[in-house]
Amino acid sequence: MKAPECRWESEVLAAVLESRWPERVDAELRAHAESCPICEEVAAIAGVLEADREGLRSEAALLDAGRIWWRAQWRARREAAAMAGRPITAAQVLAFACASGLVGACFGATSEWFQALMRQVSVPPLLAEHAVLALSVAALVVLVPAAVLVAIGRD
Amino acid sequence: MTRETTFNDVRGEEAAVEFVMDEETFRGFYERNARGLWAYLARTTGDRALADDLLQETFYRFLRAGAAYESEQHRRNSLYRIATNLVVDERRRHAARAPSGEIEQAAPSSGAAAEGSADLSRALAHLKPRERAMLWLAYAEGATHREIAEILGLETASLKPLLFRARRKLAALLGGGKT
Repeated sequence: MKAPECRWESEVLAAVLESRWPERVDAELRAHAESCPICEEVAAIAGVLEADREGLRSEAALLDAGRIWWRAQWRARREAAAMAGRPITAAQVLAFACASGLVGACFGATSEWFQALMRQVSVPPLLAEHAVLALSVAALVVLVPAAVLVAIGRD
Repeated sequence: MTRETTFNDVRGEEAAVEFVMDEETFRGFYERNARGLWAYLARTTGDRALADDLLQETFYRFLRAGAAYESEQHRRNSLYRIATNLVVDERRRHAARAPSGEIEQAAPSSGAAAEGSADLSRALAHLKPRERAMLWLAYAEGATHREIAEILGLETASLKPLLFRARRKLAALLGGGKT
């Protein structure tokens, strides 16, 4: 649909927004607006909205610009600190996961109880031979994703 | 024991955060634009308390954007674009919480919407959010079609018919339309 236009539309709008409408405009423009449905509608809508804008502007209870500024500074610093701390958090939880895997591997290598258990339980021979390695890999497979999840959750 | 950071703590620290403008420039920009922007937010959301929150968030995001602007007009357009995006986000969040969307689904009553400026909000509530924003920018703020298109993320060419339809709708709701 092509919107009908009038070449005086912008003149009428400018006059309303500059509070010149209808008294302080050319009689010719005023006469045109009275006979042009587009300009009449523009003047009516702009008049209502502009008056409403002025009313709202005077009602607005705004915070002081300085307060907005310092709040923004404070928040930006907090966010910057959180961003800077994010890799550290991820590294910390990954280090914890790796250390847990290592402790598990050491436990598997040194614990007679664990080795006896592995002999009793019917596990595939290959797995039983490399029980320590399997345990540490299993620990990492479980702990690393868990650590990553924790890191993401904390951020 | 921890304590909350106060504004004095921030004042005492060396400036660590680079904003798009310095404090003095920001003060001037805020004084010139905050009231108009608040009116825009109040009318597009229909909620004054929400407009208060969104106003602060808009200025914060504007400061953090770090973009270089050619002129005051570009800054202003950017500010209104940020505000418009925040209104859209807020509407989506609100729709997710309360899918009924009471503003859009309220039954029109053109007779009641014909009286005074109090009725304007009721009339605007019957328009689509984008129509409200479009009309406000064009007829209350005096923005050009190119500026409105930029702020609302529309094609300039498609704006004219959209604006015309929105204007006709509002005129009809206010009881002054010749439909």
